[in-house]
Amino acid sequence: MAVPTIDLTVGQTIAARTVDAVKIYGKGQIEVRALDGITVDFARGVFSAIMGPSGSGKSTLLHCIAGLDTLTSGKAYVGEADLSTLDDQQLTLLRRDRIGFVFQSYNLIPTLTALENITLPLLLAGRDGDRSWIDQVIATIGLADRLDHRPDELSGGQQQRVAVARALASRPHIIFADEPTGNLDSKAGADVLRFMGQAVSELQQTIVMVTHDPVAASHADRIVFLADGRIVDEMLQPTPERVLERMKQFGE
Amino acid sequence: MLRIALKSLWARKIRLFTTALAVVLGVAFMAGTLVLTDTVTRTFDSLFATVYKGTDAVVRGQSEFNGPQNTGAQRPRIDASLLSVVERVPGVAAAEGGVLGYTRLVGKDGRALGNPTTGAPTLGGSWSTVPRLNAFTLVAGQAPSSADQIAIDRKSARDGRLAVGDYATVLTQAPPRRMRISGIVRFGSADSPGGASVVLFPLPVAQQLVAEPGKYDSISVVAAGGVSQAELASRISRVLPPGTEAVTGAQVIRETQNDTRKALSFFTTFMLVFAIVALVVGAFIIFNTFSITVAQRTRENALFRALGASRRQVLGAVLFEALAVGAVASVIGLAAGVAVAAGLKGLLAAAGYPIPAGGVTFLARTVIVCLLAGIGVTVLAAYSPARKAGKVPPVAAMRDTFAGSTGYGSKERVVVGSLVTAGGVASLFVGLFAHPANALQIVGLGALLVFFGVSVLGRTVSLPLSRAIGYPLPRLRGVTGTIARRNAMRNPKRTAASASALMIGVGLVSFITIFASSTKASINATIDRAFTGDFVVDSGSGQMGGLDPSLAAQLNRLPQVEAATGIRLGVAKIDGSVQSIVGVDPTTAFQLFDVKPVQGRTSDLGVASIAVYENVARDKHLRIGSVVPAVFKDSGATQLRVALIYGENRPAGNYFLGTAAYSANFANDYDTQVFVKKAPGTSSSAALAAISRVVDRYPGAKVLDQSGYKSQMAKPVDQLLSLVYVLLALAVVIALLGIANTLALSIFERTRELGLLRAVGMTRSQLRSTIRWESVIVALQGTALGLVVGVFFGWALVRAMSNQGIDQLSFPVASLVAIVVLAGLAGVLAAALPSRRAARLDVLKAVVSD
Repeated sequence: MAVPTIDLTVGQTIAARTVDAVKIYGKGQIEVRALDGITVDFARGVFSAIMGPSGSGKSTLLHCIAGLDTLTSGKAYVGEADLSTLDDQQLTLLRRDRIGFVFQSYNLIPTLTALENITLPLLLAGRDGDRSWIDQVIATIGLADRLDHRPDELSGGQQQRVAVARALASRPHIIFADEPTGNLDSKAGADVLRFMGQAVSELQQTIVMVTHDPVAASHADRIVFLADGRIVDEMLQPTPERVLERMKQFGE
Repeated sequence: MLRIALKSLWARKIRLFTTALAVVLGVAFMAGTLVLTDTVTRTFDSLFATVYKGTDAVVRGQSEFNGPQNTGAQRPRIDASLLSVVERVPGVAAAEGGVLGYTRLVGKDGRALGNPTTGAPTLGGSWSTVPRLNAFTLVAGQAPSSADQIAIDRKSARDGRLAVGDYATVLTQAPPRRMRISGIVRFGSADSPGGASVVLFPLPVAQQLVAEPGKYDSISVVAAGGVSQAELASRISRVLPPGTEAVTGAQVIRETQNDTRKALSFFTTFMLVFAIVALVVGAFIIFNTFSITVAQRTRENALFRALGASRRQVLGAVLFEALAVGAVASVIGLAAGVAVAAGLKGLLAAAGYPIPAGGVTFLARTVIVCLLAGIGVTVLAAYSPARKAGKVPPVAAMRDTFAGSTGYGSKERVVVGSLVTAGGVASLFVGLFAHPANALQIVGLGALLVFFGVSVLGRTVSLPLSRAIGYPLPRLRGVTGTIARRNAMRNPKRTAASASALMIGVGLVSFITIFASSTKASINATIDRAFTGDFVVDSGSGQMGGLDPSLAAQLNRLPQVEAATGIRLGVAKIDGSVQSIVGVDPTTAFQLFDVKPVQGRTSDLGVASIAVYENVARDKHLRIGSVVPAVFKDSGATQLRVALIYGENRPAGNYFLGTAAYSANFANDYDTQVFVKKAPGTSSSAALAAISRVVDRYPGAKVLDQSGYKSQMAKPVDQLLSLVYVLLALAVVIALLGIANTLALSIFERTRELGLLRAVGMTRSQLRSTIRWESVIVALQGTALGLVVGVFFGWALVRAMSNQGIDQLSFPVASLVAIVVLAGLAGVLAAALPSRRAARLDVLKAVVSD
């Protein structure tokens, strides 16, 4: 199984980007412009967050840029790869080899152990991966003693940390997280966010996270605010208070 | 609740379709069998009623005994002088003697027509000159009127490309002769009676060729006006000598019709067994589908309970669903049964039993039996899932997940499963070894219980079995293999139920394979052990007729032949039991067969002598000179003296006669087979060439060497085997539908999980492979259980039949391995559709839907 013939390793600072991204659901009267011309870059080595009220298009943006959904018009790139030119097989291999995912819930395969879940993308690729890197990731999530456990034997927070470790294991180009702490209590959520922060600051990874939680967003280095499918604002070095303040302007 | 049940049915129509298909197939097979049997019965009933319409009474020999396996009453011939006695009885308008026996017609291409060994009989008889008594109607040419003329049936004319005016070779107990076809006939509305070939000679010729001069098989009588059949028969009876009887034409029709029914009843039972197998397999699938859908609807049912539906209402709704599925499927199955009947008709025709055209007979009984079976099986199989649905507590509506069954199942299950299996084994043993009256039913019940018991236990062994079968997968297939294996293990109850359905098919296939292999091994062993000759000349006519004895005599005169001996075969009642009995020529037979004489001399086998197998002699306290009572069809009751006690009962059986005794008691005068030993110093090819030169003058006869003889003997076994395979394929197909159905349901349940796998980089082909391997594990699990059951059944039946000549237990390893490989491939096939659907899953929807 060949990795798509796209060069992702050229030294650059942009991990993923969109150009004039438009996503339209439905037709005619019930037409919804979920993304209404979004041009945005996500730099390497940065923990970015996408925020916005419900229906602002933040999840759609994440899905389209991560190759889970397709744009109606405009372009989405992961590295230099133009996602619109890839077929299902190439997109799958791109997700497997270059992208990490953390979803809000149901992140783990119930029949696989924590360790198997962490290494799943590598196993699917038939690769051993970088053993020392994986050890490092496992050490960072602090679940070394629970690696043989099945997901239903782990707490929600532990499951999400395993999910983040899986996203990191193949040392991907970029990690997309969709409300990764949405189902966790604040203590567990904080653990997961701290770990994601460490991944960026200490392990030089790139994360793009969708969230509506100001506290979660404040762990990011940069926040992009969306409303009605457009980028309306941006914030660097956020704090929970500033984020909350900004979100209030959306009327939430 | 009724409307809700209907609505939920409609919502899951595709799923139910595959479920219903299992019932449809089973019912269709059942209906097809019944429709065909009824149609055939009615067709022949009216056929016989038509052709014997003009016969008011029949005079014949009294039955000495009934032959084995529906061969009917065995009657001696009557003396031809009786005709004039009958003709003088007042009220007799006309009377005519007739004979019927073995005859084979040779087609234009030089090949003998028909296959009396396994197909319809090949007959020869006398042409009736009294039109009212003649069952045959000329369709072309004239009645046979001189010694070299014959009339033949229309089917033989067609098959042998023979026309009026042609000369054809006719094989009878006399040397082959060329005769001119003067006419072509039909039998009532049919081209031939039940597919049999018929050659009709003028009466004196027929007597000479197929019976014996001066004898008739029967005398048919036409009554004068005003004399009833009963009156006629009773008047004739008064003048008949002992040992003969007069019966009415109506009774002859009834007897013929009953004979047809009896011959058909074996076929009906045989086919119904497969229909029942299909329905039982279907029951497993229904059980599994309903179990899964009920589990998937736990929340829904809990909601109904929370909203005030009673436990019985929920149970009733599920049962109603089953009832509706069963009813719809049974009705479709009934309709499809007509098509199945047509297919079976073709199958029978291919086997040499063409069925005359006629309307389809669809009896109310067929409708009732099929509906009861189809609906009954469905509702019964859905009962336990329905009960489970009713037991859902209302609070489950608030819970998110239901606990799937994991682990090994309860202790009670193991106990019940073991008890049922043990009961089945016991019943099987009683049926096989204790020789009860209704052995077939008891064995059938035992087999059913064993299958059921093992399927109950299957739940307990499913987990370790899946683990063991899937053991190499992670190594072979990496993480897709790991996931496939764990998926097969995650719900052992479901896996076990899927596997059980296949177990039945595989169990029966492997059983029949082992049994057939053992039978062939026994045949070969018998030939190896007892036959020291080099060649066999086979008449190709089974037990019906045979080779003119001049053949053996000619072969004996060849310098390339050391000895040739003809074997004759007949049916007799020896010491109270009806059996086949062999007649051998003591002057040549023992040069080719070693019967291991224990006492007496082979040369003592005279006209009133019999040879007895050592073990039988011991059991019955027989010594040389003891008297054995015997009844023969032709000679009646007689007493034979033991002249020889021998130690090898294969292939001779428990008793045999010398030619003198055989000829004294049997009217027929032909060899079934001639065994030949080449002269020392003669090469096999030279001997074969010399023998063939003689045998070529006897159409229908074939020279076989030892291995050719073995395969000839094995042929009927192989034919039956392939027929059974075809019929069992139905059960296997239904089981595969079940696996596919279960997989589809599981995939539906695992939508989120599959979406996640795809999101993190599992390719479509990897996903398909996961599902395929899971299916293979399920299939192999069913195969493993099936093989265990099949090997056991095979062993038991072979042991039970060891005194009927099947004394070798042979496990055909290659065939059994082939079964495993095919089952694995079948698993792949079953996964084809579900895996495609899973691969087409919308990743985004699966991942984000909430």
